[in-house]
Amino acid sequence: MRRARQLATVFLLLVALASAAAGFLAPSGYAHQFRDTPDASPSRQHWLGTDDLGRDRFARLLYGTRVSLCLAPAAALLSSLLAALIGGVAGFCGGRLEQLVLAGTDLFLSLPWLFLLITIRALLPLNLPPVTSVVITFMLLGCLGWAVAARVICSDAHLLRNCDFILLARASGLGGWRLLVRHLLPNLMPIVYAQFWLSIPIFILTEANLGILGLGVSEPLPSWGTLLRDLESCSSMSHLWQFAPLLLLIAAVSCFHLLVVDREFPA
Amino acid sequence: MRRVLFTVLSLWLAFGSARAQSATQLRFCLRSEPKTFNPLLVEEDSSDTVRYLTGGVLVRLNRKTQKLEPGLATDWKVSRDGRTIAFTLRPGLKFSDGTSFSAADVAYTVQQMMEPSLHSPIGDTFRSGEGATESKILAADKVAISFPAPVAGLDRLFDQVAIMSASSAKKEMAVLGPYYVSENHAGSYLMLERNPNYWRQDAAGRPLPYIDSIRLDIQQNRDLELLRLERGEIDLVNSIDPEYYEKLVKEKPALAHDAGPSLDSEHMWFNQVPTAAISDYKKAWFQSANFRRAVSEAINRQDLARIAFRGHARPAVGIVSPANQFWFNDKLRPHPFDQKSALQRLQKDGFRLHDGVLRDVNGHVVEFSIITNAGNRYRERMATMIQQDLAGVGMKVNVVTLDFPSLIERITRTFTYEACLLGLVNTDLDPASVMNVWLSSAENHQWSPGEKKPATAWEAEIDRLMRAQASTLDDHRRKQYFDRVQEIAWEQEPFIYLVTKNALSAISTSLSNAQPVVLRPQVFWNVDELKLAPEVAATR
Amino acid sequence: MADRLLEIRISADYPNKPAVLDDCSLEIGRGEIVGLVGKSGCGKSTLSLALLGLLAWRGGQVRGSIRLNGRDLVGLSEGEMRKLRGREIALVLQSPMSALNPALKLGTQLHEAWKAHSSGSSEACNRAVGEALENVSLPQEPAFLQRYPSQISVGQAQRVLIAMAILHRPPLLIADEPTSALDIITQSEILELFSKVSRKLAMSILYISHDLLSLASISQRVAVMENGAIVECSPTMKIFRDPSHPYTRQLIRALPVIPQVFAAPAR
Repeated sequence: MRRARQLATVFLLLVALASAAAGFLAPSGYAHQFRDTPDASPSRQHWLGTDDLGRDRFARLLYGTRVSLCLAPAAALLSSLLAALIGGVAGFCGGRLEQLVLAGTDLFLSLPWLFLLITIRALLPLNLPPVTSVVITFMLLGCLGWAVAARVICSDAHLLRNCDFILLARASGLGGWRLLVRHLLPNLMPIVYAQFWLSIPIFILTEANLGILGLGVSEPLPSWGTLLRDLESCSSMSHLWQFAPLLLLIAAVSCFHLLVVDREFPA
Repeated sequence: MRRVLFTVLSLWLAFGSARAQSATQLRFCLRSEPKTFNPLLVEEDSSDTVRYLTGGVLVRLNRKTQKLEPGLATDWKVSRDGRTIAFTLRPGLKFSDGTSFSAADVAYTVQQMMEPSLHSPIGDTFRSGEGATESKILAADKVAISFPAPVAGLDRLFDQVAIMSASSAKKEMAVLGPYYVSENHAGSYLMLERNPNYWRQDAAGRPLPYIDSIRLDIQQNRDLELLRLERGEIDLVNSIDPEYYEKLVKEKPALAHDAGPSLDSEHMWFNQVPTAAISDYKKAWFQSANFRRAVSEAINRQDLARIAFRGHARPAVGIVSPANQFWFNDKLRPHPFDQKSALQRLQKDGFRLHDGVLRDVNGHVVEFSIITNAGNRYRERMATMIQQDLAGVGMKVNVVTLDFPSLIERITRTFTYEACLLGLVNTDLDPASVMNVWLSSAENHQWSPGEKKPATAWEAEIDRLMRAQASTLDDHRRKQYFDRVQEIAWEQEPFIYLVTKNALSAISTSLSNAQPVVLRPQVFWNVDELKLAPEVAATR
Repeated sequence: MADRLLEIRISADYPNKPAVLDDCSLEIGRGEIVGLVGKSGCGKSTLSLALLGLLAWRGGQVRGSIRLNGRDLVGLSEGEMRKLRGREIALVLQSPMSALNPALKLGTQLHEAWKAHSSGSSEACNRAVGEALENVSLPQEPAFLQRYPSQISVGQAQRVLIAMAILHRPPLLIADEPTSALDIITQSEILELFSKVSRKLAMSILYISHDLLSLASISQRVAVMENGAIVECSPTMKIFRDPSHPYTRQLIRALPVIPQVFAAPAR
């Protein structure tokens, strides 16, 4: 286990370093179109070949990693914190507040978000730099993605609320925020972590799908989402190198998971 | 014992193939259920296909030669004033249900078509002025139809008019075309049977069509349709995209057909709506022909065709595709890729390129966005390539993909966009069909829809020429007017035409006599001459 | 008895269960250990929650008066009540494992309990914690405080809970069945500890149990509870020798008789 964790750390560090040093490592910019060699196979010049416009896949993977590896966890963190706060407080306080929050969450889940996103796109100017656009998108995802997690966390908090140790903490004179933050939250952490890790790949893919609304990463900036979307058009298994973004996504998420499971208190 | 078995087997085989030969069936897919079987109410693709396969028309536009050929009429003549057309009908014809065909049916069809309460879309194409349309039955096989005002390209329009029976109890289901609808399983499939009373014969005197029946499966999913083609469950797909074509070439090359440039083109345009909510200096760029020409010359159309469309497209010339043999102005060539010339044009307007950034005469950085509909891989690719091309002359382009309804909202109502990349689908060869785009007052005059009066001198000139061609009957004079329209559009480039897509189709090897063309219906335009190879028939 | 610490005369209801406590009255003197005996469900735990002002949190309601040092606790605000909990009245619960927060280190829990009422330096905090640990005979080294509840024995856990309860030297400690989850040896150690702590810190203890024998070994007086009321309250010797209430007699009769073979030499 310890060995696996060390390997995971090394791997993640390498990925982070590589994406940070994309400017040095990549043979070309992520946007440059080598128009004489579109859809090329891996070669010394293009380690992962080129995409349908002749752009170097390796460079796009590095830059895409930079975008997604920074922003998806940030959005996941935002949504998990919101969920922990909303669900935790509601489940802990119980009673009317809990019912109100649960009803609110259901309403939130049933709203037609597509229309909201379309409206937001309409409000944003068309001439957005790709980076701004992708940051806005991930923040939106973070703000909108809390509802499901909040329900799960709320029911957990509700169970915890009747635990002996919470009773004892109250009997020791603790109350309010301190009780919530110091005694309840640490016990909710495993589920918050789980929601956090679940939402990262979901956000990465959602970002790619939001492309159809004019949100998300816009050309030519790559993200894992757009790179994964390219796989849709991949009709044969013969070009295995095209699956590199998918492998990297799976590897990175699993590594993060390995590292985090250990941080939890021994159960 | 063995001999007996052998005999039985061979008999069975012989019987089997004999039966199969007597019942060949062509199969292909419709994208949706036909909304109507009334040929006068056809609006969408599926109904149009059924009309083409079942309807008998007085004159037929040969999809290959693009010339008119006799159909139910052996002869026709348009009067000098362009208001009247007289047909001489083929004698002794019968509808599919046995009802006999005469001039009265033609008169009945025309009367129905022009009936205002029916709201026939085909009828609308004949409406040139106020007043009633009259049909005069001169003899059992002679009929003359008079319209209140001259109609441009009158004879051609009759290619769309399937003649209905005035007296048959089966109403519109009694037809004069090669097939008739025999079964309709709503939502699932349609069966068409060979019309025994169809008038055409082959050179050897055999009655046409050769194939006995057609099964039209309703299949919305494009991928499933292609899968069924590969499995041999259907015989043709009218139109496929370049990527699938490439796949087919690798796996089953015999199925892939490229009929060359089609009538469909891809183009982009700048928003020139005077009231649009974009800054004035940008409006000034977009309204300058120098700017538009510079953008046009800075785009490498060869690359767009070669990379975005995998080579199955050509640099576009202008309004009319070279595939439109008669109306295309063959003096025009695609705009060359020449960034030097583009920069010179920009300099004329005071633009300056410095450190890779283009600024206008007042120092504004040249940056604009191109919107296109999301999910169309070819347009997304083109937009990204244009982005890089225009960076070559210092323009910063932002590509924004939008869902189709939002895009339409922006280009038709709110005008909150700067440039748009879209395509045009042309089904008609005649310039009359593009009046709704090129008249400055037209709603589809996309760069500035519904102008109260022409905004520029060249738009006024196009208005004049378009009206002139519409009210002229002589095709050669009409072509002169329309050639001039094409030239003006080429010079001014309100639409920057990018590529003309090739007509790609997939046809089973068992289907013979197929000659795919660029006009719809690309593969089965000569459905009555198509043949199915017997061994395929035997398996069915 | 002249120096009374606590005087109770209360009734309590739950919404769907009226008269859980029915005019229940009890007095406790300073430094006195009073045993409270009764069968499960007779209202013992309700009484302890009522004393701590935590009944409302479980949905219950209290009427009557609870006078601690002459001050009536019924009707105090939640904020004032919180100041009392842990400082004036402390609680030790039945199952030490569930009463300790599994997600927190022992040290953290003790510090939290200390911080609930004192805002002194961390040195003061450490000193108080160390003293409390010493009083319950637990190791004071940092390594022990770094452990999680799952890493110590049940007996140690109960000592930690007692340490936590005596941290602020409250005049009253409520021990709600503190030994019923322990083996017999540990049980006697903990009982020993309670009487030691009570003597040393001059602390009154309300010792709740259904086990009359263990209770008799430390209490000066025993109160017998039946159906939410105290039916008899006398010095321990009197309860055993001369029980007045039928229920008390029933309890005494139910006590296991020590077999002759062990009892003989004691004579």
